[in-house]
Amino acid sequence: MNFYDFHIHPEFSEGESSIEEIARRAKLLGFKGICITNYLTSKSRIKSLKKEISEVSEKLRFDIFIGLQTKTTDQLKKLVRMRRDYDVLLVKGSDLNFNRKAIQTKEVDILTHPELNRKDSGLNHVMVKLATKNNVAIEVNFREILQSSKNTRSVIMHNIAENVRLCKKYKTPIIICSGAASHWQLKDPKVLISMGCLLGLELNEAKKALSEVPENIIKMIKERQDKKWVRPGIKVVE
Amino acid sequence: MKKLKILEPTLREKNRYISFQVISEKGEEFTYSDLESAIWNVALDFLGEHGISKTSIWLLKDCWDQKKQIGILRCNHKSVQAVIATLGLIDRLGDNRVTFKILKISGTIKSIREIMG
Repeated sequence: MNFYDFHIHPEFSEGESSIEEIARRAKLLGFKGICITNYLTSKSRIKSLKKEISEVSEKLRFDIFIGLQTKTTDQLKKLVRMRRDYDVLLVKGSDLNFNRKAIQTKEVDILTHPELNRKDSGLNHVMVKLATKNNVAIEVNFREILQSSKNTRSVIMHNIAENVRLCKKYKTPIIICSGAASHWQLKDPKVLISMGCLLGLELNEAKKALSEVPENIIKMIKERQDKKWVRPGIKVVE
Repeated sequence: MKKLKILEPTLREKNRYISFQVISEKGEEFTYSDLESAIWNVALDFLGEHGISKTSIWLLKDCWDQKKQIGILRCNHKSVQAVIATLGLIDRLGDNRVTFKILKISGTIKSIREIMG
């Protein structure tokens, strides 16, 4: 089974490790590929990032994708417009309206930590149904659990478990990511699977969250790179 | 002291052995006691006393390879996920940053010792 980690921040995006350090560690831990996540940048920066990533990818023979993460609605609109230029679109959840906006956007791949800095879980049954319809994966973020402690950790874990329960009921894709900001925060796939199990997933569902769901996103990336692709659901037919 | 009579195999607790490797920042060699205290502290924080009592967790002393930094944890078959998640939550041993790589999970110690060489 091939495992992927789709939410890792390198040194130029709130992280502290280089792409090569991250890729080496991820390969050592048994991942097949990773997604380097950055915040909205210019097209020229994306191009240089692509070049940098392809060099490391070829050197280590390891799959690396470019993910762009957004925090605001304006940024999201911009990123939707330039959807072909990068691989994965992640939306940083927390605000309820923004969570809903992200879930309603078909171009979005992953809604990261919808429960971040919230007392509730950040999702309800209506939003989860929409996520299923638009094929937006809901993230279980390991770093949130790792960096919290005592009562904060228990609240976070309860909220994530609540989201997992809703996602299971409405068959919404769940993706488990380390959310690492350093190569030291990368975790073994078995650790992420185990955490998924503790949060309410069955073992096979937790494995899917690390392999099948990212593989479906990769499939979408390949479709998007095809010249006939226009936007989600629209393709040029000759 | 008189020893208890050994339980029948069907009545015994079903063990699982988890072998792991500690990857450290500067290749430090951690001792058994360093690791044991770190595992206990994090497990107590994460699972609590009641939670730990259900896992039957034990770090095997004679299986700790200090050079390779490979060790074996024993737990019961129902708490494998909880124990592995606990290992994932250990990000520091003393002042050093560490990562745990899970090598193998097995029902017998014999098969897991093969990978340790």
